[in-house]
Formats: sequence, C-alpha cells, structure tokens
Amino acid sequence: MRKFVIRRLLQLIPLLIGISLISFFVIHLAPGDPTNLFVDPSVQPEELARIRANFGLDKPVIVQYFYWLKNVLRGDFGTSYFTGKPVVLEIAERLPATLLLMVSSMLITLIITIPLGVYSAVKKGKFFDQFFTVFSFAGMAIPSFWLGLMLMLLFAVQLHWFPAVGMFSYQLKDAVWYIKALDVMHHMFLPLLTMTILSLAGMSRYQRAAMLEVLKEEYIKTARAKGLPEKVVIFKHALRNALIPTVTILGLSLSGLFSGAFIIETIFAWPGMGRLGVQAIFSRNYPLIMGVVMLSAVLIALGNLLADIGYALVDPRIRYGKK
Amino acid sequence: MIFKNRIGKFVISILLLLSLLGCTGDSSREIKKRAVELPKLSQMDPNGTLVLALGGEVSILNPILSTDTTSSAVEGTIFSGMIRFNKHLEPEPDLATHWKVSKDGKVWTFYLKKNVFWQDGHPFTAADVKFTFDSILNPKVNTVRRSNYIIDGVPIKFRVVDKYTVQAILPKPYAPFIVHAAMSIIPKHLLAGKDINRAEFNRNPIGTGPFKLADWQVGNHVIVERNENYFGKKPCLKKIIYKIIPDENARLVALEAGEIDSAGVPPKDYKRMWTIPSVNIFEYDVLLYVYLGFNLANPIFRDVTVRQAFAHATNKDQLISLVLKGLGSRADVPNAPVSWAYADDVVKYKYDLKKANALLDQAGWKLNSDGIREKNGKKLAFTIIINQGNKEREKAAIILQQQYKKIGAKVKIRVLEWSALLRIVNAPKGPKNFDAVIMGWSLGLDPDGYIIWHSSQYPRGFNFIDYKNKKVDHWLEVGRTELNRKKRKATYAKIYQEIAKDVPYIFLWYPRAVSAISKRVGGLDPNPGPAGAFLDIEDVFVIK
Repeated sequence: MRKFVIRRLLQLIPLLIGISLISFFVIHLAPGDPTNLFVDPSVQPEELARIRANFGLDKPVIVQYFYWLKNVLRGDFGTSYFTGKPVVLEIAERLPATLLLMVSSMLITLIITIPLGVYSAVKKGKFFDQFFTVFSFAGMAIPSFWLGLMLMLLFAVQLHWFPAVGMFSYQLKDAVWYIKALDVMHHMFLPLLTMTILSLAGMSRYQRAAMLEVLKEEYIKTARAKGLPEKVVIFKHALRNALIPTVTILGLSLSGLFSGAFIIETIFAWPGMGRLGVQAIFSRNYPLIMGVVMLSAVLIALGNLLADIGYALVDPRIRYGKK
Repeated sequence: MIFKNRIGKFVISILLLLSLLGCTGDSSREIKKRAVELPKLSQMDPNGTLVLALGGEVSILNPILSTDTTSSAVEGTIFSGMIRFNKHLEPEPDLATHWKVSKDGKVWTFYLKKNVFWQDGHPFTAADVKFTFDSILNPKVNTVRRSNYIIDGVPIKFRVVDKYTVQAILPKPYAPFIVHAAMSIIPKHLLAGKDINRAEFNRNPIGTGPFKLADWQVGNHVIVERNENYFGKKPCLKKIIYKIIPDENARLVALEAGEIDSAGVPPKDYKRMWTIPSVNIFEYDVLLYVYLGFNLANPIFRDVTVRQAFAHATNKDQLISLVLKGLGSRADVPNAPVSWAYADDVVKYKYDLKKANALLDQAGWKLNSDGIREKNGKKLAFTIIINQGNKEREKAAIILQQQYKKIGAKVKIRVLEWSALLRIVNAPKGPKNFDAVIMGWSLGLDPDGYIIWHSSQYPRGFNFIDYKNKKVDHWLEVGRTELNRKKRKATYAKIYQEIAKDVPYIFLWYPRAVSAISKRVGGLDPNPGPAGAFLDIEDVFVIK
C-alpha cells in the first residue's frame, strides 16, 4: 500500500506540470485581459498598454509561463493584479470559510444519505421509498439560487430565526471564541441547509441504487438462506459493498470542498473560494486563476488517491501493491 | 403550548411566503407611492451604526489604484480631496479653502486648510498633494488615472508653493482638470519610497476623511469608524458597516430582514418594494445613457439616411416600458439631464414607421418578396452585439429586433462575454468586426466627450464606431480648453446638435436609479443628486 501511495504521489509531478501548462495557455486564449475592467472614457489606451507591460502581459505567453513556473518552484504563486496581495494569501483568506461550509455539508449529507439510501432500497416501492424518490427528484430539479432565496425569505424575513447573509456578526468581533463559533454556526445554517438538501437528493439516489444492486447478489441470498438476521445481512454483508460508489463520489468531491460553491456563496454572501475563483476568471486575474486551478488539480488528484485507498478499506477484496 | 405556537408560526409563515410569491407576479397592481418619511434629528443615536451593502468585493483601499466602484465607495469615507462635488455637480472646497486659476488658464493654485491631520495624527500639507499627483504620474504605479494628468502628451506639473499652497501647472488650459483635482489625497509620510502597488497601506489605509478604517474581513465586511479629528463637520454616525452581498436579490432580502439599511432596487422589484412599510424609496437620475451604436465603417450604416430611418423606427417609450418598467426616460443626446452641460435643443426622431420606411426607400433599400429590404442585391441585415449577463440590454436587443422587422430589416443578436465584446470594439485596427452594439456610457462629472467622439480616437480609443465630423472635432477641442461654464455649455449644445443630426448612435434611455432605505436612517436628501442619498455622509444618522 505504501509503495502504491508513493508511486501515485510521484506520478503527480508530471501531471501537475502538464495541467499548469495547458491551463496557462487556455486562460490566455480567452479574449481580453485584466485591463478590460478599466474600460472607461477617461482611460487612454496608452495607459492600458502601460499597465499590461507592468503586469508582464506584453511578453509572449510561453515566456510568461516560464516566469510563472520559475516563481512557483520558489514558492511564489504571484500577486493578484487587483489587490496587490500574494495569491497564496488571497486563497488562505478564503479557504477556511469554504472548508467549513463544504465539509459540514458533506458530513451532514453522508450521515443522512447512507441510512436514507439503505432504508429506501430495503423498502423499495413502499410509501417511504416513493416519498423519498419524489423528494430526491425535487431536490435535484430545484435551482440552488431559488431554494436559497426561498429559505432566506422564510427563515430570515418571516421568522427571523437565522441571518440571511454573511458569515459572522461584526458586533461579536471581540467576543470569546465559543460565542464567535456559535455566531458562525447561526450564520451557516441557511447555506448549509440549502447545500445539504441539494446534495442529499443526488447522493441518496446513488446510495439507494448501489444498495439495490448489492441486494440482488448471490452472496446476499446465501446469507439470508443461512438464516442470518436481516440487520446483519444489510449492515454487515451488503452495506460495505454498497458504499463503493459513495466513496468514489466522495473522492471526486474533494476538490469541490476547496473550490467552493459559487452560487450558494453568492446568494448567502459567504466569503469563500467559489466567489474568489469566479471573480478571478471574469476579471482575468491570471495569477489568481492559476493559483485556484493548481489547488484544485492537486486536490482532484489527491481525492482520487484517497478514493482508491477508501475502496481497500470498505471492500476486503481490493488490495494494492500486490501482483 | 410553545411548541404549538412555533409550529403555528412556521405554518403561517409558509402561507405568507406562498402568498408573497403569488403576489410578485401581479404586474397590474397600482403602486401606492408615499412621501419620504425621515426621522428627526432629535431622535438621533449619537453612537449609531449604519449598515450598507456592497455588491462586490473591496479589492484595495488606495484611491489612486482602485478601479472598482465598491472600493471607491469605502474610500470616499476614508479619504478627502482638495475639492469635492455637491449634488448639483458643482465643485466645493474640501481640503482646500479655495482655488484660483490664472488668466491664461494654465496655473491652478490651491490654498489648503491648516490644522488638518491624517488619521495617524501626522499633519497634512501641500507635500501630500504633490506626492499624490506625482505618484499617479509615475509610470511604475499601476493606476489608470495617469492619462487624466497628461495633456497632449505633456504631464501636468505640481509645485509646492508653501506648506499650505500647491500649484498645478498645465501645458495648456484644460477645463476637465477641475474634476481630476478632486482626486483623493494619499499620505506622503506613509508611502514615500515604497512600492505603492503592493504597499501594506492599501489594506490599512490612513486618510483625512470623516471615517477611518476599523475592520476589514475579506469577502464579508468592511467597517469604518468616525474620525474624531476630522477637519470638517463631525459625522453623526459612529460607524458604517459595509456588508459584501454580491447578489441583488439577497440584498433586498437582507434589507427586508433588517440586516442592512439600504439596497438598490432593480425594475423587477420596484412595485414590491413600495409595499414594504419599513423603507423609504428614493428615485434619482444618474450620469449614464444607453445607446445602440452603428459601426459607421459598415456600408449599410455609412448612409446617414439609413441611420435616421432606424432612429425613426426605434420606439424608445416601448423600450423604457418593457425593459425598465418605466424607470427611465428617453435619451436624445450624449449627455444626461443631470449634467450642467445638458442641452436637448436637437433634432429628435419621433417614432414614425411611415417616415422610417420612406427614408429607406429614398436611400434605395427596397422591400423584396420576403419582406426584407434589399439594395444592389444586398439585404438590409445586420447583427447587434451585446454583452452577456446584462439582462436589460438582452431584452432591448430583442425588442429592437422586432421593431426593425417592421421596416424590413433583418436583425440578428449575438451575445458575447464582456471580454470578447471588448476585443471586437477595442480592436487596434479598423474596420472593426461588428455592425451595431448596445452599450452604455457612464459619464464623468465633466461633460468632455473627446475620447468618445473625436476622430483621433479611432481605431485606438473609444470612438470605436469610427465617427468623423470636423465640426464636432473642433468644438470638442474648444470645449476642453474653455473654462467659462456658460461658453462651454453653448459649445456642447452645438456638439449635441451635430451628433443628433448624424445619428452615429441611437440614444435609447437614461436609467433612473431607485434605492430603498430603512426608515431608521435620517439626514438624507429626499431629492438626491446622481451620487445618491448618502452623498453628505456626515449628516446621515440612525435613530435610537
């Protein structure tokens, strides 16, 4: 297993260089550049040309790429064109908010989705299953911005139970840590509820389908024929195998945990990575785009690796590093 | 019992929500407008906090570097300029007590207030003013404002006469300089010798304005606190909190929930906001116009008769009604009615399909069997380009497509991402690859339209439609150098008349801005100017 992990980690190096090269060129192929934001009748084209030169954008793209790569190898991911801040700092400022929201959402989704999917599969065709199927399809069909706004109208405007926007209250700047933590949780409720409803709908369908598939297997029939209690059949024999698709999806979702959810973050004014990344793209803030892309690339690769390790943990038949 | 009450409240809320949703689609409802009800000064909370929303991220808090309106909104409270503009767009002293312009119009002398201090206690002097403008003129500083201080390739020189007097020496008279002289001043003692582009100051600014930065949580909020040593009128507010709420709908919800005190109201929510009793609605004109611009290098649009025909075929009232829900007025000249230089004594093209058809017939465009006009085998067909994400312009393009169909023109619409659209219209070489474009110009405080209309501004510049008129060129040059407002206004009136005759653009509308502001906020101007109800922020207060 250790050899397998080391080999996979080493494979990451050429992969990341390839991704950085392709991303850099694709980003520069898109029309426009950072000075597009300065289009104003009071700004002369010469000024835009001067600013482009100050940013190094007057050089050929390949030269710009090697400058970027050289700096990255020294640990410098560049400076945001608009804030003058190092890219690493920009990402570090936004990452905790995104991680908090996304990890919480994923954990809650997992806690609910596995029993829900299993129960739905076991009760296939019964009222619960049908009710939950309707809920799932509704959840998948509802746009996140609409659901978010409706929850805001209900819980913030009508009931005044939760704040509509933001991550924390400015009044509690000097409060003790647990008060601050409670305040963040209070603010997080609505975005978290929106995300959980939406992801629950999809994930539980995967879990239900996987469980139904496993329940048809011969070894489940054998287990039942042996007279094992249904709980043991379901939770000991069926569930571990039925978790494989969920683990795959979880692994692939890892990058999403860091890149954030743009629409949710925008609606709830949550200061996360999603907003930062999309804003960087629209403003052609190349160093910041590359920073976000590279972070996502590393995480997707690590997510895949973790998913592979996860298979071995949930399925005893899967072992790595042995021929 | 409590449980039952809560359940009941929850159910009632859902029913209310559903009824609210049901109501929003009712466009036939009459608006019951009411007068603005402002609280009295005696109700003021001396330690009050105003909570405003910003639609975007604050990128940098240095007025010579920032390019976004959100950063500028916060900077406006932290920094001061030598002069500032009132709601009628007239200059008033700010850091300066007064100023004089030499007879030849080339030397502007500003006399600065004494006993003004930076928020860190350091005294403000003329050296700060010179440092600010010299920094803007430094090519290494990534500011887009440098060209404002370069006239015909020659930079304006700034000279410290004494500790409280500074002179700007211009190579030739230049009327728009008064606007650029209002630039916010940055402190020399904190920035001299530093790389301004990356200075820590940009995140921890020190100004001379009525408020000072107290807290900046990236992506969440910015807080400014009253500057107790402010040289001007002491602000009534203790704090202003700027919450960053990017979504327009979320801002309105936050206002309804009482989490913010003000939000802009888009046309779609206009009627609904009048039904909310806790807010005052302010409407005001802004310095902006939206237009359909013709590429005059395109053979179809080279003929002024054709352009006039399209002007007559444009039903601006319908556009304002359908696109803006009535929140705008028809535009006929390249300036907004709120500008002091506005003049509309120009030829106006009434919606008149008969006349439009007659003009096209006269220009040789004849209807074919498909109902499309043709001339020398070429159809009267063209494409309007618009930028993606601007719903108003998308709707306008569709309506214009239908309106022009009535005179036998076939119009296609192409929606482009903003950068892609700019790449076309800002192409460094002509002829540019577009037929017509819907865009808007946000106008500066000065009416100078040189960079949009002067023939020298094509292909590099914002005269991307290739408009050429020697008379207009001449008057634009005169308008920039004339310091007398009356004479300038007369010059611009002539420019507008000439442009209206030539129809290089069809001026579509002037939008009207609408703000909903909580009734707990006082000290506001009930009839605000284009800068909005919070222009005189020192007077604004909230009640206890």
